[in-house]
Amino acid sequence: MAQVNTSRSDRLVDAVGNRVRRARGFVDDTDPAALAVIAVMTASILAALVGFLAVSDWTIVPFAVFLASAAVGWVRYQAETAYTIALMMTVSTILILGLIIVFIFRESIPVVQYESATVFGVTVPGLRMFLQPNWDAVSPPIRYSMVPMIHGTVMVTLIASAVAAPLGVSAALFLSEIAPTTVREVVKPGVEILAGIPSIVYGFIGFTVLSPWASDQFQTTGQGSYLFVGIVVGLMALPTVVSVAEDALSSVPESMKSGSLAMGTTDWQTMTSITLPAAFSGVSSAVLLGVGRAIGETMAATVMLRGVPRLTEPLVNVFYGQETLTSIIARNYGEADGLQMDALFVAGVILFITVLVISIGAQYIEWRMYEKLGGEV
Amino acid sequence: MAGASQTDTQLVEGNTTQTDAVAAVAIGLSAVLFALAVAAMFERVDLTGTLAGVQTVTLLGGLLTALGVAVIAFGAGSRLGYVETEPDPSAGLIAGFGAAVPWVVVGGGVASQTLGLGTAGGAVGALVVGGVAFALTVLPREDLGSTLPLGSLLTLTGLVFLTGVIGPDWLWDLGWAQTASITAEFFIPVATLFSALYGGWASAKSYGGFGARGRHMGAYVLVYLNALSIVAFLFILVAYVVVQGVPGLLTGFELGLGTGPQTTVLGVSVTLPVSVPFVMNGVALLNDFQGVLPAIVGTVWLVIGAVVLAVPLGVGAAVFLTEYADRGRFTQVVEVATNGLWSTPSIVFGLFGFAFLIPRFGNGKSLLSGMITLGFMLLPLVVITSREAMLSVPDEYRDASAALGVSKWQTIRSVVLPAALPGVVTGVILGVGRIAGETAPILLTMAGGTFIPGSQTVDVLGSFQFTAAPPFVANPALLEATSALPYQLFALITAGVGLGSSVSDPNAFRWATALVLLVVVLSFYAIGIATRYYFRRRLKHT
Repeated sequence: MAQVNTSRSDRLVDAVGNRVRRARGFVDDTDPAALAVIAVMTASILAALVGFLAVSDWTIVPFAVFLASAAVGWVRYQAETAYTIALMMTVSTILILGLIIVFIFRESIPVVQYESATVFGVTVPGLRMFLQPNWDAVSPPIRYSMVPMIHGTVMVTLIASAVAAPLGVSAALFLSEIAPTTVREVVKPGVEILAGIPSIVYGFIGFTVLSPWASDQFQTTGQGSYLFVGIVVGLMALPTVVSVAEDALSSVPESMKSGSLAMGTTDWQTMTSITLPAAFSGVSSAVLLGVGRAIGETMAATVMLRGVPRLTEPLVNVFYGQETLTSIIARNYGEADGLQMDALFVAGVILFITVLVISIGAQYIEWRMYEKLGGEV
Repeated sequence: MAGASQTDTQLVEGNTTQTDAVAAVAIGLSAVLFALAVAAMFERVDLTGTLAGVQTVTLLGGLLTALGVAVIAFGAGSRLGYVETEPDPSAGLIAGFGAAVPWVVVGGGVASQTLGLGTAGGAVGALVVGGVAFALTVLPREDLGSTLPLGSLLTLTGLVFLTGVIGPDWLWDLGWAQTASITAEFFIPVATLFSALYGGWASAKSYGGFGARGRHMGAYVLVYLNALSIVAFLFILVAYVVVQGVPGLLTGFELGLGTGPQTTVLGVSVTLPVSVPFVMNGVALLNDFQGVLPAIVGTVWLVIGAVVLAVPLGVGAAVFLTEYADRGRFTQVVEVATNGLWSTPSIVFGLFGFAFLIPRFGNGKSLLSGMITLGFMLLPLVVITSREAMLSVPDEYRDASAALGVSKWQTIRSVVLPAALPGVVTGVILGVGRIAGETAPILLTMAGGTFIPGSQTVDVLGSFQFTAAPPFVANPALLEATSALPYQLFALITAGVGLGSSVSDPNAFRWATALVLLVVVLSFYAIGIATRYYFRRRLKHT
């Protein structure tokens, strides 16, 4: 154990040493004047960032300094400036993700404290949100339970996955293995366009056409059902599944497929016994990403659901649609303030974490697959 | 492939043409049933009425029974040696599960409802019947296994319809606290639809003569049907919005010299020869026809702002990741972060904008906050697509440039970026199409009222001001709440009946808004896809 620890700390020291050496090399190789410009740029952009975070009216000053120094650098030392700016832009992607995490978590803290619950003598913040199913922002006791919305999101996601996964994988097989080139050239843009249809348009059609129809078919009181929201969201997640799964399927080396075909198998046998197993992890990560899309889908759910945060009775009653984690935010942000607004942020945090975990999981699976196939990542 | 295998069969086996024809008829019958089921589901075919002189339900039942008998007959004929086929010893586990699923539903439904055995009895019934179907599929030789359970399912469904056990008046009250019932209007089309799919699968297998070739046929029928349905769905969706939206869009449409509003093009004042009030007007009390011009302009500015923010950031990050950075911990973190941003739900971006941007830009919803929020959403798309485009630039290009002795940055600027440009442009256009239709993020950051008067159409360029107080530059237009097409549509939907006072025909107004939004978004997609084809063709020619 100790051995492992030392080797790990050794590696860390090595890595840090490397970094320092490289930085020193860069400093040595670069013109001092260019270094000065880079230093000014870095310092001023950092100052601008701090000013922006501190809601200062003076943010514009360091930002102007940054623009000026960048302009000077661009004219005099273009290569170094370009490198620095590209690095800053790269860092900004991480920074944005970090800011999202910090700000949505920070806003949700008060309600997490409010909804503390004591279990076995230990007070756990936020636990009451998951122990009882009551959301009531108006009449005391005021409670912000996430249970009904989690239930709604789970129902919608399950139905959506049941729609998107088989149809999506089958369409991906069609596009990557079966379709003749001309058909492919028509279907592929079609799938892309399907991804482009705005969710509010889906929601509008669902609201005006599907919901009344469903309410009539199942003789429910009022309109809005998880079943049809799920189906619509599934259709919206379909293009994601198709395009990611298609990429995975076409990354299976041609030699494997032709090797199988040379044994006298049919195309379909090759697909089921060679292509699909080889691309299995890629296909499952496609399904995962589709699930992530379905969880985060907002507008269709908002306009098609009832907007009453409670559990359906019984729990499997998919013919009634109450509220999902996404739709409660979109519906209530307007009149919410104080604790209720913070509760909406909790819904956002749950969504964000779930989808982030799914996204990282999908990437891990995909990375494993490419490693196995020996392709480049 | 299918054609080749067919000639093959005919050459090897003498007189299979007739049986082939029977199987082909069965496939055709499944297609007819499928179409009828879809039509009935959308109430294009009346279940209580008659079709071709026969009661619709009776007709469906008759066709299903015929299809089921044909499927069983084919399987039995093959087993008894009347039909020459090449079956495997077993139909396989997948086919077994495929056949077990509908029988589980049938068994569960009959045991719990018809026989009244309750939930536990239903579960037992489902397991027993499903298990039998599974065994019947897996255990016998393939020709029998893949036809008998499915054929009997079809025959059973058909007979239930024929005998009127489930007729047009059938109703199953689920007895739940929130009442819901399964009606015949829903059940009959859905049962027919799935039966037709199973029937088509089984008959396609028979048509291929079972074995590897039969399975190939069976699977291809389903996969082709799926692809066709997706394309058909897209067409129906777009066509429906167009048909519903055009009347609203063209209210007050006029064509002819001097009919349109005046605009200034290149300093010359012109009167447009066409007038489409819906896209040229705002909403005002005195307007003859109301329109959504402010929302269109809002969307345009929103997109411009997002692109100005996200494209340089994204392309710069992609340059760094592909050209400068070595693969390692840092690039991995950036990759995870971009993919994480890509999959972050749009409403979370909205919340973030609400918490982070709004306090920093005038404490109210504003166009600028909307632009930046959407820019953040666009950023990961730009990074991912630009990276892909740069990675696909062959290394020979870079080596050739480096061999000339130029610096790395010069190589990037004059070799990599131009070569990657088509990919970047296409990616950006497609990404813009996506964010232009986003409602959730702007809901919390930017959007104002339902109807915006035409006088409030934003004019970003015209409202820059210089001030003496700290920010020194001010632009009231950027800091005001405005509308955009997707938000406008959402507001119109949620406003419900209250619209009547402002617009004469609220429904036509809504559909027309949806149509304009769809046209705006899809034209981005059309341009993006066309650019890709253009560049691809040019690459092929040179």
